[in-house]
Amino acid sequence: MTAPEDLESRGTAVMGFAAGWYALALGNGLEPGTSAGTQLFDKELVVWRDASGASHVWEDRCPHRGMRLSFGFVRGNHIACLYHGWQYDEAGQCRHIPAHPTLEVPETIKVPTYASVEAAGMIWVRWDGEAAGQPPEDIAAVPVRSLYLDRAPETVAQLLAAGRAGSFETLSPGTFATALEGADLFLALQPYGAERTALHIARTGGDLPLKDIAVWAEELRASLEALPAAGLAPAARQPGAAA
Amino acid sequence: MLRSNMQGSTLNPPVTMVFTGHFRPESFAEFVRHRAARLSLAMRLGTVNDNRVEVAVEGAADLVDMFEMACSLGPIDCLVLDIHRNAERQ
Repeated sequence: MTAPEDLESRGTAVMGFAAGWYALALGNGLEPGTSAGTQLFDKELVVWRDASGASHVWEDRCPHRGMRLSFGFVRGNHIACLYHGWQYDEAGQCRHIPAHPTLEVPETIKVPTYASVEAAGMIWVRWDGEAAGQPPEDIAAVPVRSLYLDRAPETVAQLLAAGRAGSFETLSPGTFATALEGADLFLALQPYGAERTALHIARTGGDLPLKDIAVWAEELRASLEALPAAGLAPAARQPGAAA
Repeated sequence: MLRSNMQGSTLNPPVTMVFTGHFRPESFAEFVRHRAARLSLAMRLGTVNDNRVEVAVEGAADLVDMFEMACSLGPIDCLVLDIHRNAERQ
């Protein structure tokens, strides 16, 4: 993996979260041959799945003209930029430039990539390099849905940890568990930006229909956006790994 | 001698590019260095001032063309009005 230089510490320092593994998407939300853009600590990332089924998390920026790679097309195990069709292999190395088809592309034309894994039904990215520790445990889970909240990540984490939005067990400052009508739910928080948070939800036990969990999730989102933040505990540190 | 970071491309004669316009010299020089490194071109800066930047680059012809195109935009605080290029005298 190419070590991105200065981006992780910027976000983690600002938002009070530490190095760790963060969920970016539900695994079943990304079909082979597709890409999606997301953000972590305001840093734009592309999450894409190649034709063989492997997922990748990269900086969402073509080294050529800066176009978002999430707007591009997956071709086999390469992703091609929408703008001029530059193609990158699974390691982020540029392999083909359509305007110069015979050119041996230099190794310096490469997209910064991040370590990522799939666990607990989610795609996780390692943030802050080696300081992030071990990847999350791959517990059996059925992905349900992702919520996007207009609320600061620290506030959302504090509201969940304090039980303001229901009864949640804090597995780590970035992951939570709860029970709903006999089902066990696992929630992973994604610090999307300074004032925006994603919550990825998976069912880890029971057989409550996913539709019912999705309805509950919508209510949870409304609560987390509306609840007052007064009197909450200090910021969480260290997101840690999944349960 | 150019500072070489070539990666196996066929070497062509060095090309000197002369950019004229309005520059913040340190900003444009850093921009040029970054683009040359990205394209694995050997490069050497010559005259760098508020109105003129000379740079010699060496590498695959296609990559040298890409370098010229990239530098024609320049950083936000510089304005490139014209570019001349010549093969460098041996």
